[in-house]
Amino acid sequence: MTKSNDDTRRSAVPDDDTPPDPREGLAIVAAQQRRVRDSDVDDRVLFGVWGVAWLLGYGAQWWTATTSPTRTATGVGGLVFGVLAVAGLVVTLVHVTRATHGLAGTSRQVGAMYGWAWMLGFVGQGLLVAGVVRADASPVVVTVVANGVACLVVGLLYMAGGALWREVSMYALGGWMILTAAAAGLVAMPAGYLVMSLAGGGGMLVGAALAAVRRRRA
Amino acid sequence: MSEVDLDPVIHSASRLRVVATLAALERGDRVSFPRLQKLLDMTAGNLSTHLRRLEDAGYVTQTKTHVGRTPATYVELSPAGRLAFERYTQTLTELLKGAQE
Repeated sequence: MTKSNDDTRRSAVPDDDTPPDPREGLAIVAAQQRRVRDSDVDDRVLFGVWGVAWLLGYGAQWWTATTSPTRTATGVGGLVFGVLAVAGLVVTLVHVTRATHGLAGTSRQVGAMYGWAWMLGFVGQGLLVAGVVRADASPVVVTVVANGVACLVVGLLYMAGGALWREVSMYALGGWMILTAAAAGLVAMPAGYLVMSLAGGGGMLVGAALAAVRRRRA
Repeated sequence: MSEVDLDPVIHSASRLRVVATLAALERGDRVSFPRLQKLLDMTAGNLSTHLRRLEDAGYVTQTKTHVGRTPATYVELSPAGRLAFERYTQTLTELLKGAQE
């Protein structure tokens, strides 16, 4: 930047507002890009909160199932998981509502459609489990279906989200969750809970860590 | 290339901030006036003035709607505005490269 440019700049811009030099200008652009990104939905929060909920929730279910005669989680284990899932849902809804407030247009529409896919996916999962219970399935079968379908829904929607927003790590995590769903069903109970806790919850926490790294690089 | 080539509508620190913020949103996204104001830390009057100037140049579209019973204004970068912004930042990059050589 040379001083002699200043005169040209002033005559070219009849404005009270100071025109930035190239370096300042690009810094302004980068700063505002960061500002907009920071105001957007934070995937570290979403992966993080659900990673913790799964790690502890399925962990608690596994812990109570190890001493249970049915080899499935007791009421206490289920309650811990339920409380954590509700907390995760509340954090998700509050965060997404805040982050998208005052935005309209394409991405709002895409986000809403994606959100409804989660909603319907888990309503479907719940009804499927109810159907299996109604068909007199044993507690182990009910658990295998409940855990496997939940994890499959998560995996598919992560893959869809990764494709939608072109985020390879989210897409890969989706693939990992589908493998987790299969593994959780194939191992004997109660080890299935442990697979959900460590591979599922752990996978989401890895997703949160990757999102944090990506943010620092950007 | 000289600074004369820089679009005078965008070539002001405040309007560059406005345009850069709108350009950071996805194509086809609109942002409410209060949210934009918060992203910019500008007074409402100041932001309105800059938006009017950008709207006159065809770089910005303002849509007035109602959210419930409260009126709301949504701001969007027009395709021409996005193009002008991209050209502007490209020129800045080239100027910077030229200054470093």
